Amino acid sequence: MSLSPVQTRTLRWPLWLVLALPGAWLLWQAGQPAADLDELANVSGQLAGVLLVLAIGLTGVARLHPALAQLVHLRRAFGLAAFGTSVVHLLLYLLAMGALEPVLAELDVPGIWTGWAALLLLVPLALTSTDAAMRRLGRGWKRLQRLAWPAVALALAHTYIVHDGQTLAMALAAVLILLQITRFNRGRTVS
Amino acid sequence: MTLKYTLIALAPLALALAGPAAATGKMTCKVAASDVKPQAELVTALTKQGWTVTKAKPDGGCYEVYGTTPEGDRVEAYFDPVTFEKLYVSQRGKVLFQKQ
Repeated sequence: MSLSPVQTRTLRWPLWLVLALPGAWLLWQAGQPAADLDELANVSGQLAGVLLVLAIGLTGVARLHPALAQLVHLRRAFGLAAFGTSVVHLLLYLLAMGALEPVLAELDVPGIWTGWAALLLLVPLALTSTDAAMRRLGRGWKRLQRLAWPAVALALAHTYIVHDGQTLAMALAAVLILLQITRFNRGRTVS
Repeated sequence: MTLKYTLIALAPLALALAGPAAATGKMTCKVAASDVKPQAELVTALTKQGWTVTKAKPDGGCYEVYGTTPEGDRVEAYFDPVTFEKLYVSQRGKVLFQKQ
């Protein structure tokens, strides 16, 4: 049951929709009276972390089996969903803080600047996610997109430190590490 | 073979998402339930000291408070539910205060 290129292409639109829904729902929740903005910011951050790891790990998953190989074409959707959800996460954080002053005041706290840095690294990746940018940048595109690795490292550090995120951060790191290991294994034992 | 790898790789995530979200275990207070004072009293006392409390709830037998300190730091703090003594204050994971 492997996916053909056509199937992955038709899968793409429903996938965009599905990936956009949680972020939209969280924003809608934030607009409700008596919304717990801290909790919504929390949930959006966890979701962004999972999406980012999925986007990066998708290459590893796709290499596990020929049947999964086409999944790699859905990577852009996951990457942009991770970025979009991170932006939603930032918005919810800013709403929860309610003013600029306290935001600036905690900018140097490790649990916070790691989050800002991770998001900033994702900006050039999102901006160059189009086919046109891929063509224009040529080989440099791949090098630029490798910024995803420091971005995910910072994002997981942020998750680990900021608030009760140790378990999630370690689990996500374990997923990435295990996928990298299976990648090396496949390289050696050609099947 | 490869399916096994996929499952192994995704297992930690499943475990993390299925794990309990309730008690964080950051602080525990062992006190008699009959001695515990109402949470609203703590919030009132903190507000009088200059805190802005956004959320308060019991956690690990203590009271856990989210809010802004009189110094203007956005924090998560733990208090003894009987004496209202400050036990632990953390600003985005940076420990600002811990009772020795």
